[in-house]
Amino acid sequence: MAIARNIVNIAIAAAEKEDAKRITKVNVVAGELRGFIPAQLIFCFGLMAENTIASGAYLDLEITPVMGKCKKCEETFMVKDYRYVCPKCQGEDIQTVSGTELRVKDIEVE
Amino acid sequence: MKINVMTDILEANDRIAADNSKVFDKHRNLVLNLMSSPGAGKTTLLEKTGEALKGKLRLGVIAGDIETTRDAERLQKYKLPVVQLTTGSACHLDANMITYALPHIDLKKIDILVIENVGNLVCPAEFKLGEDYKIMMLSVTEGDEKPLKYPLMFRESSLLLINKIDLLKYTNFNLKEAKANARRVNPDMDIIDISCTTGEGIPDWISWLNQRYQNKFGTKARA
Repeated sequence: MAIARNIVNIAIAAAEKEDAKRITKVNVVAGELRGFIPAQLIFCFGLMAENTIASGAYLDLEITPVMGKCKKCEETFMVKDYRYVCPKCQGEDIQTVSGTELRVKDIEVE
Repeated sequence: MKINVMTDILEANDRIAADNSKVFDKHRNLVLNLMSSPGAGKTTLLEKTGEALKGKLRLGVIAGDIETTRDAERLQKYKLPVVQLTTGSACHLDANMITYALPHIDLKKIDILVIENVGNLVCPAEFKLGEDYKIMMLSVTEGDEKPLKYPLMFRESSLLLINKIDLLKYTNFNLKEAKANARRVNPDMDIIDISCTTGEGIPDWISWLNQRYQNKFGTKARA
């Protein structure tokens, strides 16, 4: 709920800066590790947007996969099923390079 | 028209958390964000910890609960400095709530401050509070698959306490499997088995605390 509220606030702030009257779409990038249930977030977003210029806006969630980088051989790979093991050298010292992000990418306004 | 935004959704919270962290450093507090599902044993752990640290390091607690001040009342019996935060309906603590709690606790009289988060395995992991470490507690009655169901919390935590191991024989909880699952999500995580009822593992937990305190401040206790 707090996250949905933040998304609405960020979108409204950006829209007002450009003197937009209505927000039609909000594009959010969320990493897989965040473990969001999209339907739940979209529902909360709808509630938070009521009676604002974001009311009725479509929330698009782009879920980014978990990517890891092996600190030993520098191989970058997709981490499936939370297996933090390098597919090339079997190294286990893996840095997470994506999958934890959570940001408003852009908005579409009228 | 499209407007580029690229704003981190938790940026405002992270900024406040960084401010809290500065306050804690100034007062030489080691700060831990303790998270678990409801009923895992957070408050009991704090009771045991307060006792075990007596005369060594001074423990203080900020306890987050949706309603009631029962946790704080339990801890006050041990003469620990406690602030209770009731979040109303919020399922987690955020950095701002901690900022509001700070004037109500004398940080100068505390070495280790534990922030007892609201019992929940999802939302608390998202919000930094200004802590040095996140600690996660899992009790054997909850199931050994939890790390795979709630990966972010396990990924973010430095230590996993597996509690209620005295009950292992009554459950189908597989300790080996639970640890393998936790390490799969977070290979760097420390894991300590404990029982707040029998006291098993509590000395290991206390030495973990001592070690982290020394790592941060270099001395065993404050002069």
